[in-house]
Amino acid sequence: MIESSITTNRMDTSNIFEKELDLRCQFNILTRPNGSVIYCEGETTVIAGIYGPVNCKMSKMLSDKAYIEMNYRPKAGVPSVQDRFYEDIIKNTCETALAGALYPRASVIITVQEMHDDGQLISCAINAACLACLDSGIDMRFIFASISCFLTKDGNLHLETPNSKNDIQAVFVFVFDSVKGDVIVSHTEGVYSIDNYKQGLKISREGSKQVFKFMEQEMARRMKQENTS
Amino acid sequence: MSGGIGELVYPGNILKNIRSNKFVCIIGPGLKRNDNLPNTLIVTRVGTLRFESPNTYWVDSLQKRYIPKRGELVVGIVAKKAGATKKQKVNINVGDAVYAKLLNTYKEMEPELVCVDSYFKAGSLGVLSSEGFVFSVSLNMAHRLLSIENPLLRTLGKKYKYEIAIGMNGKVWLNCAKTVDVLKIKEAIEIAEKKSDASILNTCKKVR
Repeated sequence: MIESSITTNRMDTSNIFEKELDLRCQFNILTRPNGSVIYCEGETTVIAGIYGPVNCKMSKMLSDKAYIEMNYRPKAGVPSVQDRFYEDIIKNTCETALAGALYPRASVIITVQEMHDDGQLISCAINAACLACLDSGIDMRFIFASISCFLTKDGNLHLETPNSKNDIQAVFVFVFDSVKGDVIVSHTEGVYSIDNYKQGLKISREGSKQVFKFMEQEMARRMKQENTS
Repeated sequence: MSGGIGELVYPGNILKNIRSNKFVCIIGPGLKRNDNLPNTLIVTRVGTLRFESPNTYWVDSLQKRYIPKRGELVVGIVAKKAGATKKQKVNINVGDAVYAKLLNTYKEMEPELVCVDSYFKAGSLGVLSSEGFVFSVSLNMAHRLLSIENPLLRTLGKKYKYEIAIGMNGKVWLNCAKTVDVLKIKEAIEIAEKKSDASILNTCKKVR
């Protein structure tokens, strides 16, 4: 029983890479922030904006690095406990990636607005935050890319939201850095085995290369646009 | 991973084989010393890698927010007034536009502005007439306007009499004898912002 499930998994991994992730984005959609982006991962959509580095409140000021203020806004209503949790994940990711030491006593304000959630919300929000940072031209140590991996009840792994959400057994969210390909964030929901996790990590790492490629392509296009316009 | 000169580079890219002059290498915005590996640089911004012989490297990137740099000239509006001594009377009021030089911009401190040069002479710096008009352009445009090769201001000078102060922070102070001219020049700059250098040059050539 176990053996057969492993073999099916292996077959699936080869299929996953042939499939291109459905990623789309548009830069500079808001006028006020220093960098902004609308980003879609499949059906999941978020808008992210970044201000900064700006002057910081005395109470929040850090003498050795920039203070990062993360605002995550749900689709409707005020942020709940779950949203604060997402906020924390994105904030931690940005704190490791941004070269905060270059802007001590300043603050960087990142706002992420959920537009639509189709299951990949966390990874979508993290990627949007990264693209917004790139758009604003703030100094970063590396680019980061996040990816959601779904484990369905039949034991298969998918990098895209499965059609039937009732089949989802577990969700893994990973964030990778662009330099070494290390895992920065690992977030999991649901029930899974260690094998599932390891395999999920493996295909997520492969999938993240697509996200990095997408980000670099989009930035290249943006730079080109700006220079010829 | 190492990008060549004139190529797009991304945060995290590592530059090897850095050219230095007498063991000195000058690095500009978008680059940082790589602490993990000696004699390499790490890119911190998306942009085009530039090199100026013999030993200067920087990254040309898009940026909307101004980050003060020592020695740059900026235009600004006075927000708060403090610290006038009997010896040094400051004749600046809140709301005045000033053209000033950044004296120091240590990142741990507030940036300091001065309106005198090292001989304590004002030169072209100081309070800008309240008759002028202050508006903002993108940082990129401010750099382009200040570039010697850019013919826009010279060409406008053939048609209109005007006085202009362009700050590296994207603030521009403009003054003419007639208000209509101010608006026209402002519009010209705004249109030029969306045009490439080549098309500006072409348009300027047509003006006699």
